[in-house]
Amino acid sequence: MTHFLIRRIFWAIFLFLVATIITYLIFWVIPTNPAQLAAGHAASPEFLASIKHRLHLDKPIYIQYFYFLQNLVIHGSLGRSFLNQQSVDSIIGKDAPVTASLVFGGAVLWLSLSVPIGIISALRPRSVTDRLTMTFVLIGISAHPVWIGLILSFVFGYKLHITPIAGYCNFIPGTAGAQCEGPVQWAYHMILPWITFMILFAALYVRLIRANVIETMSEDYVRTARAKGASQRRVMIHHVLRNSLLPVVTILGMDLGLALGGAIFTETVFNLPGLGNQVIRAYGANDLPIITGVVVFSTCCVIVFNLIVDVTYGFLDPRIRMS
Amino acid sequence: MRRKQLISLFMLVLGASLLVAAMAVAAASGSTARAGHAAAAKGGTLKLNESNEDFDYVDPQIAYRTDDWAMLNTVGMPLVGFPEKSGTAGTQLYPVGATAFPTVSKDGKTYTFHIRPGMKFSDGSPVTAAAYQRAFERTLSPKMGSPVGVNIGLQDEIVGADAFFNGKASTISGISAKGNTLTVKLTKANATFVSQMGMQWFTATKPNLPYTSQGVQTFPSAGPYYIASRDPGRSTVLKRNPYYKGPRPANPDEIVFTPNVDPDQSLLQVKSGASDLDLVGNVPTSSASLAQQYGVNKSRFKVGPTACMSYISMNNSRPPFDNVALRKAVNWAVDRPAQVRLLGAYAGKRTDQILVPGVPGYKPYNVYALKGADVAKAKQVGGSAIASAPEINFVHTTSQSSTNRAQVVEYNLKQVGFKVKDVPTPATTFYQVVGARNTTYNMTSNGGWCADYFDPYDFINVLFDGRKIQANNNPFYSYFNNASFNKQMDAAAQLSGSARANAYAKLDQELMVKYAPVVPYLVINDHFLTSARLKNWIYSAYFGEPYFNALAVG
Repeated sequence: MTHFLIRRIFWAIFLFLVATIITYLIFWVIPTNPAQLAAGHAASPEFLASIKHRLHLDKPIYIQYFYFLQNLVIHGSLGRSFLNQQSVDSIIGKDAPVTASLVFGGAVLWLSLSVPIGIISALRPRSVTDRLTMTFVLIGISAHPVWIGLILSFVFGYKLHITPIAGYCNFIPGTAGAQCEGPVQWAYHMILPWITFMILFAALYVRLIRANVIETMSEDYVRTARAKGASQRRVMIHHVLRNSLLPVVTILGMDLGLALGGAIFTETVFNLPGLGNQVIRAYGANDLPIITGVVVFSTCCVIVFNLIVDVTYGFLDPRIRMS
Repeated sequence: MRRKQLISLFMLVLGASLLVAAMAVAAASGSTARAGHAAAAKGGTLKLNESNEDFDYVDPQIAYRTDDWAMLNTVGMPLVGFPEKSGTAGTQLYPVGATAFPTVSKDGKTYTFHIRPGMKFSDGSPVTAAAYQRAFERTLSPKMGSPVGVNIGLQDEIVGADAFFNGKASTISGISAKGNTLTVKLTKANATFVSQMGMQWFTATKPNLPYTSQGVQTFPSAGPYYIASRDPGRSTVLKRNPYYKGPRPANPDEIVFTPNVDPDQSLLQVKSGASDLDLVGNVPTSSASLAQQYGVNKSRFKVGPTACMSYISMNNSRPPFDNVALRKAVNWAVDRPAQVRLLGAYAGKRTDQILVPGVPGYKPYNVYALKGADVAKAKQVGGSAIASAPEINFVHTTSQSSTNRAQVVEYNLKQVGFKVKDVPTPATTFYQVVGARNTTYNMTSNGGWCADYFDPYDFINVLFDGRKIQANNNPFYSYFNNASFNKQMDAAAQLSGSARANAYAKLDQELMVKYAPVVPYLVINDHFLTSARLKNWIYSAYFGEPYFNALAVG
């Protein structure tokens, strides 16, 4: 197990390096002039040169990347926003909890919905329940989160006044200038974002779980268990669910990691000051340090969640760690 | 197995209870919110959205965008400023932090301001001439990276400012502050100097406010409000300055700006009263229906002109647009109404001149086709040069609005007989392409200018003085450089009063009639939906916003 763990950690570090190299190359080398972006398009040549020097852009590319990595790993710094000179670390540190509250709240909802529905649907294929479920899946996958969000906030926020139209309140009170805060207001403002975020994933997971359960139910070991006289309940829980839900854990880890990089559509529609909203604005303003920072953060999240999933998987399934 | 069951059950219960709990608090919170609105009706909190954007900077010596300045005007105390009045009256400068307009020496080079006594910053400390000296220093300090150097070249105007700007001196020798007297010595007479002092860079600044290129987020200010808190990307809160005793209005107790709101959601919030106004304006596609519902400037739908002008830029320094006949032909060929229609109802007023209403010297005239493209006239003016003209590189950014604008212009040009090559360019490289003197670009629809200060110099000289063209990073893309016109601009800049206005009115017309360096097409309007409770609307064409301190939510 120790070997397996060490192997996985080294693999994660390697992935991190590759991802940061690609990110750096994409955003800082091709095809923009970062110094120009940082200095503004009307900067004097002298000011432009000083910015170039400050950003190490007057040095070879591998030296630039070295400085980038050094700042990131040793100083934990992702630089400063071109737009308003704010530290990217503090921006990400402030926005990540908002995205996390959307993603984890949404994940609880989508799993709570998709696991039972997926199983029921698989147990009664082509039944009315199954067809209704598949209709939900189709709508959930087809409808764009922006449309869902706008419709929900129009109906429940604007017309019925049940929820806020948009906005975010901090979970922990005490932020200067906050207009609303505390767990109650936080949850109240997150209802529609959670539902919006949940719909797409719930649909995908229902389909995934249904397919896995149906596939597992036709496995030889399930037939053997039945032949040995095991009850339907025992077969389902011991043999079918245990195996069919394993891939869900893998996908969940990746989805959570990826979504933590910014649930762009949901955050934008509901004005949640999370990473997705931040990166969209940064893209519009060509704010490279922010874009790079969020991509690096997102990459780290995916790597860490994958690592957790791999290790968990290794514990659950000995074949994985032996391979 | 039991553990699995329990986990599933737990998750089901947790998910359901999370939703139910959130729904349950919704009713209570909803009533709280409604009660909050009732309290706000007494005039408490003015809630302002900024759809899809936030203030770039709130540091008065770095901020440059119009919304930044509109907010800073609410907290600031400039030497001179614009009164909280609608229409033309609101465009006339008056002494704000100074007791009167400055006295000017006979040679026109020394300006003496007397600072209004008894003024205090929001932390209770007194405002003296040193506060304005500090404003100049922070604006010109190399440690600040303020846009002032590039945009108005103040470092060349004040004695000793250049040395300070380049880090060779620790103070600006041409500025002295003694008690309530501020003296500024200029390198040469400059009739625009007082107008320039209306910019937010020259607001009273606490003498110990540090130099920082990152800008400060909160700071003591001397205007009717101060920035109580600022969380970039999330909120900016202004509160009344308890020490402000001047005549400027300070109606709401508190002004809260919420940035980066989705435009559609922002519209719903303003309609429902959850917000009072979106600074960026309503979604353009909603203007027509809002006008139908509320009328224009009758109740909740407001439309007002800005001091901003949009234009299509031609590169005058290389073929084919080094030929004035072809520039004129393009001015006849462009379908101005189509350009305005692209921006939705009430987007603005068609124009074919550089100066905008409200700027001294503005006199409406009509040289080219305002009602639509005049293809026949364009062909006649361009003559055979059109057919022999090289292909036009039409450069535009890849944004949807920019692409749409470009497509219409390119169609207009082809109708006349020009050969056009569409060159979509990412915004990341666009300014490098069009900002280089030896660029290959011929034309772009990404042109526009808003007044930094209400003086014709800021339009005519700033945009068309070709002697300022540099190798790279040029902020203006016509590359128009005419020795005779440069002389005329210099002469006009030395005038004052009505002589100045008349001279610039003549230059404005001559520029388009004789040289046609660009294709002006729109004086931009701002349009806003307001909440039902919002009152005392006083719109400023200069800021393109209402005066926030004057708005009332009672």
